[in-house]
Amino acid sequence: MADVLTVPQVQPVQPALRYLRVIPGVLLLFAIGYAGKLLEQNVGGYAKSHHWTFPNIEYVLWAIVLGLLISNTAGVPEIFRSGVATYEFWLKAGIVLLGSRFLLGDILKLGGVSLVLVAIEITGSIAFMTFLGRAFKLKPKLTSLLAVGSAVCGVSAIIATKGAIEADDEESSFSIAAILALGAFALFTFPVIGHFLHLSDKAYGLWAGLGVDNTAEATAAGALYSDAAGKLAVLVKSTRNAMIGFVVLAYAIYWASKGKAQVVGNKPAFLWQKFPKFVLGFLLISVLATYGFFSKDQVGALANLSRWAFLLTFAGVGLRTNFQEMRKQGLRPFAVGAIGEVVIAGFTLGLVYGAGKIFGW
Amino acid sequence: MSAAPNSNANAVKAGQRWKLSLDSWAVVVALLAALLVRAGIFKHIPW
Repeated sequence: MADVLTVPQVQPVQPALRYLRVIPGVLLLFAIGYAGKLLEQNVGGYAKSHHWTFPNIEYVLWAIVLGLLISNTAGVPEIFRSGVATYEFWLKAGIVLLGSRFLLGDILKLGGVSLVLVAIEITGSIAFMTFLGRAFKLKPKLTSLLAVGSAVCGVSAIIATKGAIEADDEESSFSIAAILALGAFALFTFPVIGHFLHLSDKAYGLWAGLGVDNTAEATAAGALYSDAAGKLAVLVKSTRNAMIGFVVLAYAIYWASKGKAQVVGNKPAFLWQKFPKFVLGFLLISVLATYGFFSKDQVGALANLSRWAFLLTFAGVGLRTNFQEMRKQGLRPFAVGAIGEVVIAGFTLGLVYGAGKIFGW
Repeated sequence: MSAAPNSNANAVKAGQRWKLSLDSWAVVVALLAALLVRAGIFKHIPW
């Protein structure tokens, strides 16, 4: 009985502690992001004053590289971990605020094009990853998780699908490790390929939004190219994210029909539960900005707030990427994921080229 | 004595029903920040 009575006494303290626990990690995100911003401002100037040839490296890359260095050398101490995990929160808040920089007409125009491309990308990616998983004789549910992760929105999609199809922890951690490793790889290769192919901001932004799996990495890969490409990458990626509910529902129905997952009762409620709410926030802020709710200066202030939120996100992307941890997961999911991602990157690049020809970009 | 754990469980269930996801929290915080900017409380956000 004593055990039963002590639980309620402890519970009220937990929420407060949970919020306090994130403070050191959030401060670390801020410190790394701000250090990246200072490095962007000062390294280029210092190199110029000493007549050195040094590329102009943006704060995005500095923040990610600083985070990667800490994560893969000293590691992230326990006290910072829960705060570092808030980078997803800053990412989503940043995307909502970024809505102020889009006029509703632009969203409808670009969103319409990207919706068609996203539908083709999702169908093609799921079909190819399913084929690849069968060819490599991966477990069927692991194949489903890898397909959803690479087709829709990386880790969030895998977590959502894991619950719906009742996949086990090993399958989901395999898929998450593969998607994260390949996301880190895409982060550095996409901008290089984009510059090599002389892609316009529009074409590159579309490609990054379609081809990079995780929202944080897609945002960073876009921002590494240019501000305009970053904006478009976020819009296209958000369109992909909006599809998550439909794809997860389709998988849940498929596995339930095989008797290997629970039947989904209330489908509209299921779709609403899985729908990424930040997409609605993004649209709401865009509608408000379009109809003059904010002055020009206020739109500028909201855009800067969004940049600060992304600054914390980019630091978090570097800090949570630990190559040693990923290596522990084994090579098999990486092999399937890597082949799939290379093919999907080529496929989405082809889609973007095709759309460019049609729309004259 | 058995009533206490039950009522506690009900309270936890009610709490979970109203628990916002990370997504929703991000939207709430971003909209609140936008309203504060609109109200002129944050006049200038430097970058």
